[in-house]
Amino acid sequence: MAEKFMSMRNLKFLLYEVFDAASLTRYDDYGAYDRKMLDMVLQAAWELAQGILWPHFQEMDRDPPELAGDVVKVHSSVRDVLRTFGEGGWIAMTVPEELDGQQLPQIIADACHFIFCSANYSAAVYPGLCDGAARLIENFGSQALYDAFVPHMRGGRWQGTMALTEPEAGSSLADIVTTAEPTDEGYYRIQGQKIFISGGDHDGVENIVHLMLAKIKGAPAGVKGISLFVVPKKRISETGDLVSNDVVTSGIFHKLGYRGCPIAQLSMGDKEDCRGYLVGEPHNGLRYMFQMMNESRIGVGIGAAAIATAAYYAALEYATIRKQGRMIHEKDPSLPPVPIIQHPDVKRMLLFQRAVVEGSLSLLLQCSQYVDLKRVGSDEETEAYALLLDLLTPVAKSYPSENGILSISQGLQCLGGSGYCDDYPLEQYYRDARIHPIHEGTTGIQGQDLLGRKVMMKGGKAFKLYGEEVRKTISKAVGEERLQIQTRALEEALVLVEEVTAHLKGVAAKGDADKFLADATLYLELFGIVAIAWQWLKQGIVMVKGIDGAASEKEKNFYQGKLYALRFFFAYELPKTAGLARRLMNGDGLTVEMQEAFFKD
Amino acid sequence: MNIIVCLKQVPDTETQIKIGSDRQSIVTDDIKWVMNPYDEYGVEEALRLKEKHGGEVTVVGLGPKRVTESIRTALAMGADKGILISDGALDGSDSLAHAKAIAAAIKDLQYDLIFTGQRGVDDDLGIVGATLAEALNIPQLSLIVKVEVAEDGKSVKVQRPIEGETLVITSTLPALITAQKGLNEPRYASLPGIMKAKKKPLAEKSLADLGLNSADFGAGARKMKILELTPPPAREAGKIVPGETPQEKAAQLAKLLHDEAKVL
Repeated sequence: MAEKFMSMRNLKFLLYEVFDAASLTRYDDYGAYDRKMLDMVLQAAWELAQGILWPHFQEMDRDPPELAGDVVKVHSSVRDVLRTFGEGGWIAMTVPEELDGQQLPQIIADACHFIFCSANYSAAVYPGLCDGAARLIENFGSQALYDAFVPHMRGGRWQGTMALTEPEAGSSLADIVTTAEPTDEGYYRIQGQKIFISGGDHDGVENIVHLMLAKIKGAPAGVKGISLFVVPKKRISETGDLVSNDVVTSGIFHKLGYRGCPIAQLSMGDKEDCRGYLVGEPHNGLRYMFQMMNESRIGVGIGAAAIATAAYYAALEYATIRKQGRMIHEKDPSLPPVPIIQHPDVKRMLLFQRAVVEGSLSLLLQCSQYVDLKRVGSDEETEAYALLLDLLTPVAKSYPSENGILSISQGLQCLGGSGYCDDYPLEQYYRDARIHPIHEGTTGIQGQDLLGRKVMMKGGKAFKLYGEEVRKTISKAVGEERLQIQTRALEEALVLVEEVTAHLKGVAAKGDADKFLADATLYLELFGIVAIAWQWLKQGIVMVKGIDGAASEKEKNFYQGKLYALRFFFAYELPKTAGLARRLMNGDGLTVEMQEAFFKD
Repeated sequence: MNIIVCLKQVPDTETQIKIGSDRQSIVTDDIKWVMNPYDEYGVEEALRLKEKHGGEVTVVGLGPKRVTESIRTALAMGADKGILISDGALDGSDSLAHAKAIAAAIKDLQYDLIFTGQRGVDDDLGIVGATLAEALNIPQLSLIVKVEVAEDGKSVKVQRPIEGETLVITSTLPALITAQKGLNEPRYASLPGIMKAKKKPLAEKSLADLGLNSADFGAGARKMKILELTPPPAREAGKIVPGETPQEKAAQLAKLLHDEAKVL
């Protein structure tokens, strides 16, 4: 096992030096904290990660959940993790103080989530799911539902889940067929099947609380007929006992990675005795769910960046120890081999990982900052930050997910054959990360969301605001000689995105919806690279000052290392935008025209 | 029952220690400072005793301002109040002087038990606990892995591992216990704990506040002198025992143990 799974130095650089997280404490909402307390929170998160998550990282993969009788048996540490997180307030990090939460700034909560995921993604998912599900009840459910379920979920005693997907309804939620039949008793009778439900059942808790989408009988067709229910595995009887609620785990799936957390197939109402409790108003379920979904998408991005960061440190450790080959200019074969980190091609692979990981984390924390500023700002600012957040959510979900896999793949490559074997953790990181472009909306869905909805919404207002944000960074960097090349390159890349966007809007205006969205995933890719370049330049402005004012050699090396990663991103990654733009500007509709029959043989 | 826990801040055990140019101190730039792990066992044990018997836990630290971070950590774990003994004149003092200052801060407090770590993981001296007990004229129970306070709160029964056996000792209170690994598993600081720690009292005391004379402290007053710090010798490469078969290897190994290691 590698010794290091994340860099606290880099995390603090982003939090305090780039995003000035400590300044949030001057607002009433976060006034209970000061910088020292935020440091203590980060330190406490790190200790938890180091103490109870990291030691089980490999074991949870090797000893995956099993369906034994009517319960899914999970690793014994899950119970301890949930309890410790619950008792420590980690499942209510951003919950208001009056609801017994910690009311931490989102950016700090997300930083903690990053630390947890880098130590053990599977283990970190359990409390994360409780947090999201409890928040849905808090925001939209009745007081009675809140009292009955939320304290148990935030205490880590009951598991929360998001139960959306069905055998015939994955990306297309409009097609769900789980039904909810009203009764006179105040509850609904639920019947149906759900699949791929993360944490959908396990023996680390006393109860499972599904936040489930279903259609009330007679509801309108499509997404407008979807309602949200609390469907517990065990319901609370009149005497206060937990009794079966006719939710049966009919199977668990055997997955490529992220094996420490089960994904279950659930069957509700086989005995016509499954009760669901409506959350909020009927037929508003998808709207409620999407509030959580947007947060979850940022959470997926964080998970992806976190796994990739841990993979980077494992690859780095190997590259500094493993001796192989001699420098190309060295002609004497009797010389001892050098650590592989000395080879430029290995350095290239390591730099690629840093460029992806640290750029991704920056974009994610940028989104967290928007959440915080949205909360404390004036009405006008709130609208602007909400739009920026909406626009960037699919990007912050997809870039780290897609490029995290490439980054880990390069990390694995640094280890050669050893990377392919389970003596080293790279193969597990590679498998664990593969879920991220899939869950909480595939990359394809994110592309359509970005181009079809977010870029177009409110007459393109969010997109315009985004351009202004990027240009603010550019104008701050203009006077800095060491960033001149990159500043100019970002300006050009932004113009390119604007040109492509204008072109695609033109395609949409002609009414050719298929052609408009056919390459939406490529548009997302283009958009993502430029957004990450923006984040690197933003970091760069701080880095150059850091180099000048570094108090020690170690600090200077830190900033120098980051500056190389920045230069790498602009030199190796940003140029890819040219190819993407060229394809996106070519409206030949190749994939639209391709026929199913042509795929055979 | 009132308990005092003494804590020291030490470099994180993962820190790469560099010896300074004076050859008598270490380079403190870039060091991550943490609560001495043995002191953390003391904090945890004090909190458990408080949870069982009631009372208050006071944490006493000594050193520069940064030590407040470790005191706050103990407060976040659940301790009630903190005292930081901080004075420029303490720079360069030895452990005997540290114990003297701590004794002065403690002597007028109400306490039943005092915990210190069995040693600091930085200097590895293990002097403060014994010196402090001596200065306060109370029994010292060292290297303790189990603590049971009597129901009436008047005595304590402790366990100390010795050479594969366990020594069980009973003592009157007040007493001083030095905590050894195995005493407990320290709890993690909770978020509500961190929030509460902010509001808990943390007093700072100078030597003058404690009625002490600065001249008795600092490098000039050291009774223990550091002559030189040297890094531990680099570990020598291991030896792979040659031989084609297990029998041959065993024979070779026996020969090496006899001729070179001289243990057979």
